[in-house]
Amino acid sequence: MRGADYVIKRTAFALVTVFVAVTLNFALFRLAPGSAVTDLSRVPHATPELRQALKKQFGLDKSKGAQYVIYLKQLVHGNLGVSFANEQPVSTNLRVALINTLPMVLLGTLFAIVIGTLTGVIAAWRRGTPTEAVTVTSALGFYSMPTHWLGLMLIIIFAGTLPTGGMTNEFLINPSFWTHFRDLAAHITLPSLTLGLVLYGEYTLIVRSAMLETLGEDYILTARAKGLKPWTIVRRHALRNAMLPVATLVALSLGYIVAGAILIETVFSWPGIGRAVYDAVLQRDYPMLQGAFLLLTISVVFFNLVADLLYFKLDPRITE
Amino acid sequence: MQARRLAIVGVVLAVCVFAAAASGSERKSGGTFRLGTSSRIDSLNPFVAFNQDAYSTFEYIYPELIQYDKANRNFAPDFATSWKASNGGKTWTFKTRGGAVWSDGQPLTSADAAWTINTALKYKGGATANSAGLIAHITRADAPTPTTLVVHYAAALGNVLGQFQQFPILPKHIWSQHTGHKGNDLKSFPNNAPVVGAGPFNLIKFTKDQIALFQRNDKFYGPKPNVDAFGLQMFSNDDALVAALKHHDIDAIEDVPATAIKTLRGSGFTVKQVPGLDHTDFIVNSNPKKTKHRELLDPRVKTAMDYAIDRAQIVRVVFLGAAHPGDSIISPSSGAWYNPAVKPTPFNLAKANGILDGLGYKKGSDGIRVANGSRMSYDVITPTDVHSIPRTFQIIQAAFRKIGIELKQKSLDSSAAFDAITAPNGKYTDFDLSMWDWVGLVDPDFMLSVVTCEQYGGWSDSGFCDKTYDAMYSKQQLTPNQAKRRAIVWQMQKYLQQRKPYLWLANLDNVSAYSSNWTGIVTSPQGPFNSISKVSLTSIQQK
Repeated sequence: MRGADYVIKRTAFALVTVFVAVTLNFALFRLAPGSAVTDLSRVPHATPELRQALKKQFGLDKSKGAQYVIYLKQLVHGNLGVSFANEQPVSTNLRVALINTLPMVLLGTLFAIVIGTLTGVIAAWRRGTPTEAVTVTSALGFYSMPTHWLGLMLIIIFAGTLPTGGMTNEFLINPSFWTHFRDLAAHITLPSLTLGLVLYGEYTLIVRSAMLETLGEDYILTARAKGLKPWTIVRRHALRNAMLPVATLVALSLGYIVAGAILIETVFSWPGIGRAVYDAVLQRDYPMLQGAFLLLTISVVFFNLVADLLYFKLDPRITE
Repeated sequence: MQARRLAIVGVVLAVCVFAAAASGSERKSGGTFRLGTSSRIDSLNPFVAFNQDAYSTFEYIYPELIQYDKANRNFAPDFATSWKASNGGKTWTFKTRGGAVWSDGQPLTSADAAWTINTALKYKGGATANSAGLIAHITRADAPTPTTLVVHYAAALGNVLGQFQQFPILPKHIWSQHTGHKGNDLKSFPNNAPVVGAGPFNLIKFTKDQIALFQRNDKFYGPKPNVDAFGLQMFSNDDALVAALKHHDIDAIEDVPATAIKTLRGSGFTVKQVPGLDHTDFIVNSNPKKTKHRELLDPRVKTAMDYAIDRAQIVRVVFLGAAHPGDSIISPSSGAWYNPAVKPTPFNLAKANGILDGLGYKKGSDGIRVANGSRMSYDVITPTDVHSIPRTFQIIQAAFRKIGIELKQKSLDSSAAFDAITAPNGKYTDFDLSMWDWVGLVDPDFMLSVVTCEQYGGWSDSGFCDKTYDAMYSKQQLTPNQAKRRAIVWQMQKYLQQRKPYLWLANLDNVSAYSSNWTGIVTSPQGPFNSISKVSLTSIQQK
């Protein structure tokens, strides 16, 4: 019963969070200086009447309250509206951008999790040795690097060996599955690597810290006294108990995947959701921004909920 | 979806093979010309599109009545082979090509042109408002025969051909199905690839922010392209774009960043540098009703500021030599419309100080002058998306300091910057100074219009409103004789130079770069992919 209460409370809290975020998303973009139709009405052959026509078309001539009600009604019907910029459904724009983003960001995040966990474990296990110094310094170094700068350096280093822009070679005629796969793999390498390198340091530090804590526990000492092999101690006793904070970090990272990676997508001309959101900000494309931030909100809230529920499962002390 | 994509690619391949086989030996034909750009195509719908590359796309996939010739100076036939004015210039008759077809095999006739014009007219207050300027003063268009188009005007105009040069003709049998909801369906129609067109190329594939792939249209009514296809690959990072050219992942760049010109020349690439249509400006609020710092309305103050701008340094430092000192609202690349008598104001701080001293604006203890009881300290509104502005501002700021004027940069994104300029509510009474740029057209009408009173709340970013100027603007618009019109256009440039709503900074060059495997390059002020003519990409061929 206590467990059910916990789940209901967390779910209700998540729903309230989403509703508040929806309202804030609506208000926030409208508070920014500049109008949604200013740029769109400045096309070469337009007359001053275009501005008014666009306002009417987008419903911006109505009061903010009326616009909010219309927005909520549309949401209830699962309609995210139509983009001001290209006049296509926001859901279509988001779907296309998301499909482009997910493989690249997932791969980068996976790289970060694996390398970060590995280096974190090594750093903790080899505490006080040059290995720890090298591992932690490298992790901190990459973690503190400006993402776009690292991307540009990789472009300079790998240009000619790996593609520097785009998702695929669009000039390939009728490629076989393997040719297409190899081409996609070549294009995804540098952006994913950039993301992975920037992110892995965070995992290194968290895993190292959690591991150091567990390695100091009495049961580890007991395991050593029993003569277990070092790797067995790490794998079976230390790492498993150190995974609680790592699970939170992984859940948070997964929640932010739908936000894309604006800087990486820009540096590598990757047409993902990060760039779509950035463009929407510049163009004051309210429906697109509302849709993208709603998606992000739901994703973050969902994965936080998953982390909460996972904690509940992983650590029964929470319910006590 | 995958099957559909493969089918399209298969068709492309088949057509390419067929085209190559059918072409014979008279042309060094074939190949795919891969053009890289840092710009992009925002929409394939002419009633929605905003970016220049979208307009260039329409130039190459749709017929237009008129285009410019190879030199980008004179009008040349496109879908119209000849034209004449009658009824005192109020009626224009165009003879159009016979036997032309759309890419889906439907006949292309003057009825398509008449329908496009009449539809744009019908919804000009709403769905088609973004092209309303191109059909100004038109009352009706008729197609009495499949090869005759008659356009009726309320008054005799001077820029009829210039307007039609930018007006794509749409296939009536496609677009007439999308006029519902008072024409608003015209805007929601995505016009996805493969697009039904009739230009020298068919747009067969378009992936937003990635690629636009154009295949040669062998049914085109005009000179056929030499290449089988060309693709526009879009990059969001200049360094990656240049790296792609250097490693031959692409064949050309349509707008080379100034920092890469020397490197590309040194690496054996063909670099074409021609005067462009983009020019940067320093804007002085010229609204007579402005409330604060009214000394800025005095042409003598503006002249002093003009003398304090070191254009040579801006060209050298900001544009690394890929520009020329600016002087007029019409850039030299507009050809005969540019008034050569309007010269850039020389850099002369002594003269600037002399003018301000003469006006009695004495310097305070901090070195800043005081005019009408207020320090001559001004905010300069600058948009974040014009990348040359920050460095240009620093140069101007340092020089202005030496004449006792303090400038403070107020950087905003373009939407917020324009709203700050027009504040409050389109009255232009709040702002003092700004910096921006203009990308003009070959015909001067558009650039001359941006300082008319009618453009308040529209294109105006200077608050300039002058009845004498407006009268000259209307006069040039209603003067069909081009020599007489040119005289008025020259007079208007002189008039603006004296009143100085803009202090022109630099006329930018258009710089494009090509791999040495390609020849037949035709330059234009907008680069190889442009909305000026269909010549550039139909002429290019492999060596």
